[in-house]
Amino acid sequence: MSDDARRPVLARRARLRWDAPRSRHVVVVPEGVLALTEEGAEITALLDGQRSLRAVIDAVAGAHPEAPRGLVEADVREFVERLVERGYVTLETP
Amino acid sequence: MTEAPVALLAELTYRCPLRCAYCSNPTNWRDYGDELDTDGWTRVLREAGELGVLHVHFSGGEPLLRDDLEALVRAARDAGLYTNLITSAWHLTHERLSALADAGLDHVQVSLQDSDAGRADRIAGTTVHAHKLEAARWVKPLGMALSVNAVLHQQNLPFVGEIIALAESLGAQRLELANTQWHGSALVHRDALLPDRETLASARSIALAERQRLRGKMDVIWVIPDWYEDSPKPCMDGWGRRSMTVIPDGTVLPCPGAHGLPGMVWDSVRSRPLGDIWRGGEDFQRYRGTDWMSPTCASCDRRELDFGGCRCQAFALTGDAARTDPACARSPDHHLVTSLRRERPVAAAEPDVALYRIDIRRGRRAS
Repeated sequence: MSDDARRPVLARRARLRWDAPRSRHVVVVPEGVLALTEEGAEITALLDGQRSLRAVIDAVAGAHPEAPRGLVEADVREFVERLVERGYVTLETP
Repeated sequence: MTEAPVALLAELTYRCPLRCAYCSNPTNWRDYGDELDTDGWTRVLREAGELGVLHVHFSGGEPLLRDDLEALVRAARDAGLYTNLITSAWHLTHERLSALADAGLDHVQVSLQDSDAGRADRIAGTTVHAHKLEAARWVKPLGMALSVNAVLHQQNLPFVGEIIALAESLGAQRLELANTQWHGSALVHRDALLPDRETLASARSIALAERQRLRGKMDVIWVIPDWYEDSPKPCMDGWGRRSMTVIPDGTVLPCPGAHGLPGMVWDSVRSRPLGDIWRGGEDFQRYRGTDWMSPTCASCDRRELDFGGCRCQAFALTGDAARTDPACARSPDHHLVTSLRRERPVAAAEPDVALYRIDIRRGRRAS
């Protein structure tokens, strides 16, 4: 469970923004963009280095009381993990 | 409706203290010396942001020769753009790089000419390699992303493994291994630079193996040597489709080589808003989409994958920019490319690029 206390933070070289002409949120990275779903954008906005991974899951679950908690948790973990793998998110130890 | 562009290549100046034999800038670079001023570029950046551009790549020439680079980075960030500096790192100081980071620079791409200082400086035409390594190491501690770009040709392809190891040791997050494209000065120096198939094949297998090894650590990008492929490169991801280039004098082009095409009347940001040029510029429309295509391309299942290849190369080799890129195996002109290929290493001593180099690049601040 110690992993859940770690605080995911979007790397400085990766920036979340609204991409108006294409009506989507994106993470802009060197030489590319990661197109996000609405849920992805919602999660990414929480990766501020202040919240723990547990707190991020809680916040997303809280915003979607209709969704099964287990599903939200799995989605958030997978999403964050993919960004960590690609080096766009780091997990900081509190 | 025309899609919005995602990238702006801002060629701030064609002046450069390096004289790389493979340079793709126009050989008549002096004709573009009337550079946009700070206000002009600031307006370009603002209009690019409004148009939907996400990335700006500050390039040249050597963009560090612009004393207002910090102000332009700031203007780009104000416009919401992700900022990339494409540089030789020539005479770059830690103080200046810090100022650029403070201005909001996101990403620095440093060029390396080779893995060894002697060979690298010979291709660059000046002593710069050792300083590049020092400057590249400053980038990440200042909070920016680091890429390395190495243009590949006959003389450095045998050392591609060493180049990859060097980029790795610098902590680069991306490495572009860009096989020379035959435009500008590169075309002038083709005899010295053109690789043979065997040299290319061994470099390619090293690069692909290293790409596997470095997954998750450093992205290794192999930009294809299109003269040795069956499919052309999808030049600019299509003419006027995703990217636009503004050259030093404010002329707006679909690609950085398009001013070499004859019979075009290009618009300038000095007289027309950027968005207007993107959507309505006559020559911006000329090769957009698929309507202009020759029957070879129009009937091809790859027409929206490689967009007919490179217009500039089609013109350079066939005299008609609307023809299928001869690099494509389906082109009726493909023999023009295959006849230029070298199958084996040239038996005679390699021509020395220093003998071939013509002094096209000496800028106002000559080294």
